[in-house]
Amino acid sequence: MRKLAFFIPFVLFIGLSVFLFSGLFSDPMERESSVLNKPLPAFTLPDLQQPDNLWTAEKLKGKPYLLNVWGTWCVTCNAELAYLTELREQGVMIIGLYYQQPSDAAFGEVFNLTALQQEVALKLEQQGDPYQWNILDKDRSLIFDLGVTGAPETFLIDAKGIIRYHHIGDINPQVWQQKLAAAYQSLEE
Amino acid sequence: MKAFFLSLLLFTATTQASQALIEFQSPEQQALFKELTQELRCPKCQNQNIADSNAVVAVDMRNKTLELVQQGQDKDQVLDYMKSRYGDFVHYQPPLNKFTLILWLLPALMAFGLVLVLLLRRRAERSGAVTESAEQATPQLEQQLDQLIEQYRRKS
Repeated sequence: MRKLAFFIPFVLFIGLSVFLFSGLFSDPMERESSVLNKPLPAFTLPDLQQPDNLWTAEKLKGKPYLLNVWGTWCVTCNAELAYLTELREQGVMIIGLYYQQPSDAAFGEVFNLTALQQEVALKLEQQGDPYQWNILDKDRSLIFDLGVTGAPETFLIDAKGIIRYHHIGDINPQVWQQKLAAAYQSLEE
Repeated sequence: MKAFFLSLLLFTATTQASQALIEFQSPEQQALFKELTQELRCPKCQNQNIADSNAVVAVDMRNKTLELVQQGQDKDQVLDYMKSRYGDFVHYQPPLNKFTLILWLLPALMAFGLVLVLLLRRRAERSGAVTESAEQATPQLEQQLDQLIEQYRRKS
């Protein structure tokens, strides 16, 4: 009994050390998404380049695709454009959901659609264009309903419009191979 | 002249304040909004609530909270709205479920263990099994000791 009591602080110390040490290598951004296995929320949003064309959740059904939340202002999004373009060439369907940042009225910023269209077109020309089309979410309403915390984020959505995967951060060859490729291929079949 | 500067001061003060001014229909709604923005956690910036953070997502959540509060929704409704999008993570008060059960059980278990140890020790003390102090020396023990001393004396 005495000996056992002697070891208790030691065991507690080891336990605490292991717990804290493993914490050093865990990703604090990683957590279960609450939109997983739920249908894409209802929305009606314009196409970025053809604003008269309105997209709805219903119209996007029929084929599995990646919904990529991005913006020209977002550095990481620009970095992943090249690899996403490669994926498009391999036959992966990618739809862009454009994350528009709020205009700061205090600095006289006003939302200008034409300027944005030009900026996006230029960016995609320079870095590669992975998108079938882009949906403009000016007030971040669908983005809010999807639980997006920032850009880039990517959703894998099946033919019935159910969200199958939610990835926070950029997509690079490693992430694609380890997390998304198998899930996407299983939906394709 | 003094009046002019004073009025200038007043002017700058009002223009600055007008940006952050939100009007509420009732003091209850104002209190609820304040409470919610302090309890809701910004999903982008790990350890800030949405009242403190100016990340885009925190600003959007603040505006949405205001909208829902002004629609007359109560605290639970707003929390459910946020949780269904951003998960339990966004509320600083974790819910009681199978994953968080240990948070509630652990302190209770530790308190229980502590009481158990104290009780066991007290019982042991009472039965006299643990301590043998000088006062408890009996003639028999004294005799044994004398024998031992004698033994070693002879050896040397």
